[in-house]
Amino acid sequence: MDTILKWCSDVLSNPTWFYLLTTIAKLVLVFAVILAFVVLSVWIERRVAGWIQDRPGPNRAGLPLFLFRRFGSKEEQPLKKLLLYLGCPPDGLIARLCRWLRLDREVPTFGLMQPCLDGGKLFLKQEITPSYVRKLYFILAPMLVLGPPLVSAAVIPFASWVQTPFGEINMCVANLNIGPLWVFAVSGLSVYGLTLAGWSSNSKYPFLGGLRATAQLISYEVAMGLSVIPLLMMFGTLNLQEIVQSQAQNGWTLLPFWGEGLSVQRWILCVPMLISFIMFATCIFAEANRTPFDMAECETDLVGGYHTEYSSMKFASFFMGEYAAMVIGSALVVTLFLGGWSIGFGIDEALASYNEWLAVLCQLVIFLFKLLAFIFFFVWVRWTLPRFRWDQVMKLCWLVFVELAVLNIALTAVIMYFIH
Amino acid sequence: MNPAISALLFYLFALAALVSAIGVIVLRNPVSSALSLALCFGFVAAIFFNMGAAFLGITQIIVYAGAILVLFLFIIMMLDVKSEDHTSGLLRHSVVGVLVAGMLAGMISSAALRLPGAVGGSCPWHAFTESLCSELCPAAASTDPSASELQASISAPAPYGGALPTLDPAKRGADAKLLGQNLFSHYNLTLVILGFALLAGCVGAVSVGRRLRRD
Repeated sequence: MDTILKWCSDVLSNPTWFYLLTTIAKLVLVFAVILAFVVLSVWIERRVAGWIQDRPGPNRAGLPLFLFRRFGSKEEQPLKKLLLYLGCPPDGLIARLCRWLRLDREVPTFGLMQPCLDGGKLFLKQEITPSYVRKLYFILAPMLVLGPPLVSAAVIPFASWVQTPFGEINMCVANLNIGPLWVFAVSGLSVYGLTLAGWSSNSKYPFLGGLRATAQLISYEVAMGLSVIPLLMMFGTLNLQEIVQSQAQNGWTLLPFWGEGLSVQRWILCVPMLISFIMFATCIFAEANRTPFDMAECETDLVGGYHTEYSSMKFASFFMGEYAAMVIGSALVVTLFLGGWSIGFGIDEALASYNEWLAVLCQLVIFLFKLLAFIFFFVWVRWTLPRFRWDQVMKLCWLVFVELAVLNIALTAVIMYFIH
Repeated sequence: MNPAISALLFYLFALAALVSAIGVIVLRNPVSSALSLALCFGFVAAIFFNMGAAFLGITQIIVYAGAILVLFLFIIMMLDVKSEDHTSGLLRHSVVGVLVAGMLAGMISSAALRLPGAVGGSCPWHAFTESLCSELCPAAASTDPSASELQASISAPAPYGGALPTLDPAKRGADAKLLGQNLFSHYNLTLVILGFALLAGCVGAVSVGRRLRRD
């Protein structure tokens, strides 16, 4: 045992091995979290859609208790036994509440099983590749859509850092000095997937969908890049970990309630920040190809858009790619504007001085909560706003956002000139 | 990074970039050519990353692979370009092509041979014959701290920007800031002229593309 421990510490003391092992651990964590959030956001989408449209949504898929014969037939349900054991009357308030939650029929999962069953269904469906497609690009396209969002997650910090006896672990897979640009560049590459899917399908509607996706994504990338410049001017760095760190010390970009954020100058700067937040969030909606901007797969005029000819797991890759892009977009908005992993009000530093691992854990949980909240906002917008018309989408980008972003940069520059 | 690994990666990426660049010409399907060009841009960006110029690399990907080439693809698909006919006027085309390519290659190599790192016989070719180590030929754009002293000690001829600024090894990775400072102070005039050239291109494109209304 001692030899094993000694061997472990020997391996970890080597800086190369330490770096390699921690990076692999972080990679696995980030990958798992993103895939879990893709599944979770599908579920949130359906439940919130049901809620907004005043219907239950998928709440039935669960683990029915009658599968487990050994628990007894319907008359002798485990719930009834449990209630009797606890001394609750079978028609009292608690029993009625349990029945309303359907606890008497199934293990409560609130429909969380639905995305898993969907995945199974898509996996088992017949894979149809039409005879008239361009095979290589037809197969390549779904990969090019799903890959980039997963890669671009590498630069997003999900907690602060910890000091271990072997060295510092920065809770960010790749702490690059070009953080947001990396996300823009890599997630911008997913446009190849959409375009190639449309073209290689060799059929009319997918082709139109692919063309629309190309035009829309390129246009909104310009507006997105311009809209974050005021924020980068304020922080003076492109490193996402440093941006979040300064937000933890001096107040979140939009809510500077503590530290140096409580000054008049900082609150004046909130005006351009708010403008850039609204623009950036809208561009993220457009980049993730979601309603009200889902021109490329608008079923009323394009059947299914670029993925009309796809079936089974290839279709599921497009689907997952879209949700992964949504998760990464939300993570970027949270990181840039809503404080990333920071808990706020100076709690981070207090926790870190108490126990660094505890602080990191709390920050991770807070980050995931913020992410969930923003994903909820994403879904809320989708089921509330109607879809725009094609020319409206392009006009909004080129005639409103680009100009507004340039003006916003000038405004920020003027404010910063007079402050300093 | 270890200089030997860095040099090895450079040759690997350069080879891959060359192969994909050849693919652009050899492949018959225009869409395949465009995608091969995208791959080439990606490898060039990887070379930039390898030199420590992460900002330049990511700009390469955003601007070329992410925007310009997608527009190329867009046009190719819109016009439905078929595989080209390679038989007619082969000789004339190849003569003109070799001339233009030779002029470009001469221009680039004359600039490269006069860069600070190449002065005093330590041009890339010499370095390659002597050792694979990159210490002898610090690239002009490199932010590698080991190269900074050498860069400071050599002054380039005036047309190539004079002596390079000394790099602080502690500021490794702050290449975006460095690039911005140089572009907006040292090379500001060039930048403005380039900006006007691009503006002229934009105006030209709009005037060509705009359909005048008769009514």
